[in-house]
Amino acid sequence: MTPLQSKVAELFENGTINLMIGFKSALNKLPVPFFFNTVSRVEELIFTPECKGNLSVYLQKPEVKQAKKVGLLANIATLRSLVQLTSENQLGDIEKTVLTINAQNEVEVFENMDEVETYVQANFPGYSEEDKKLLEQLNSMTRDERWQYWTDQFSACVKCYACRAVCPMCYCPSCTVECNQPQWIKVSSETTGNLEWHTIRAMHLAGRCINCGECGRICPVGIPVHLLTAQMNLDIEKEFGAKTGFSCKSGYALNTFKTGDKEQFIK
Amino acid sequence: MDFEPKIVAFVCNWCTYAGADLAGTSRIKYATNVSIIRFPCTGRIDFMLLMKAFENGADGIIVSGCHPNDCHYTSGNFHARRRWIVFRSLLDFIGFDTDRITFSWVSAAEGTKWANLVNETTEKIRQKGAYTEFRNLDYSNFEKINNDAITE
Repeated sequence: MTPLQSKVAELFENGTINLMIGFKSALNKLPVPFFFNTVSRVEELIFTPECKGNLSVYLQKPEVKQAKKVGLLANIATLRSLVQLTSENQLGDIEKTVLTINAQNEVEVFENMDEVETYVQANFPGYSEEDKKLLEQLNSMTRDERWQYWTDQFSACVKCYACRAVCPMCYCPSCTVECNQPQWIKVSSETTGNLEWHTIRAMHLAGRCINCGECGRICPVGIPVHLLTAQMNLDIEKEFGAKTGFSCKSGYALNTFKTGDKEQFIK
Repeated sequence: MDFEPKIVAFVCNWCTYAGADLAGTSRIKYATNVSIIRFPCTGRIDFMLLMKAFENGADGIIVSGCHPNDCHYTSGNFHARRRWIVFRSLLDFIGFDTDRITFSWVSAAEGTKWANLVNETTEKIRQKGAYTEFRNLDYSNFEKINNDAITE
């Protein structure tokens, strides 16, 4: 058994957790989410650099909430989303034990959110090189070129809403796209409706997105939707100095204001 | 026939709507292209409403409310201002024509400012032409696909 597996087995045996959410290797060797509630399956548990999934999304599910004591295997993006979810008061009714493997390859167990917050602040993740390059490229384009780029991308969208399902911050029990009186977003996959969906999604996540990049990674047609929220985060940090998923008490940048907020466009 | 732009104005009940009323009672003439929609506060003006207006045929939009510190509900316009800053930069990032949305503060005493705002916006949009770029997205794609099919 790896140190991680023996740690999880120990947590099961002393009754700290009764459900573990982690990763296992699928038939195609890619890591997939793995739920288990008996110590006998602990040897299937893995944690490799390929385990990029954000498992904190499952903490919002009623089935998981029923388990009461949940163990969660987290990478740095997941830890960051836990911090953001705590600041939005979303994790109050669930007893969780968070595990990660740190840079020194040691297993770390967090018992409360303060420890998670300290760890996240010490290892705060930046943007990946690839995202930085794409954002720079998009920002150096003219408006027409950007419009062309995004409408081309959005015309491929099939409205599967995988980007919503995978996002730990999209926890509303009924989403605005399910609201049909009035029908704000067209149900069919058309470019105008697709563009509206991605705009409203980015707007609802602006200042809350924790840049895990899951939405772009999961998209079946490969639209880099995570760039929209990444750009919003950059803007919000520049305009209001707010960082998402940095502190459990920071709150939501668009839910507050300063009387001295600066803009040049309001006449 | 000359192009007449359609302008939709999203205004707050307490300041800009009263300002527009003042422009009317003072008999100030201004462009008739504007359709005013009254909201309880600028904080209520959802960005989705702006998108929908463009989709349903608006060529330009005016969003206006009380000056900072003058909000009837104390902080509605401050919240709205933050949201506008973010929304505008998102639209810009997608490549939307942000010049077509005019944000403004017009108080209940500024009938002349309102009239000038509407006239200026109408003139600007008249020069820009109809905003078909967004609302004809599906139609233009359809045409493109059809043309491709014909040439093949």
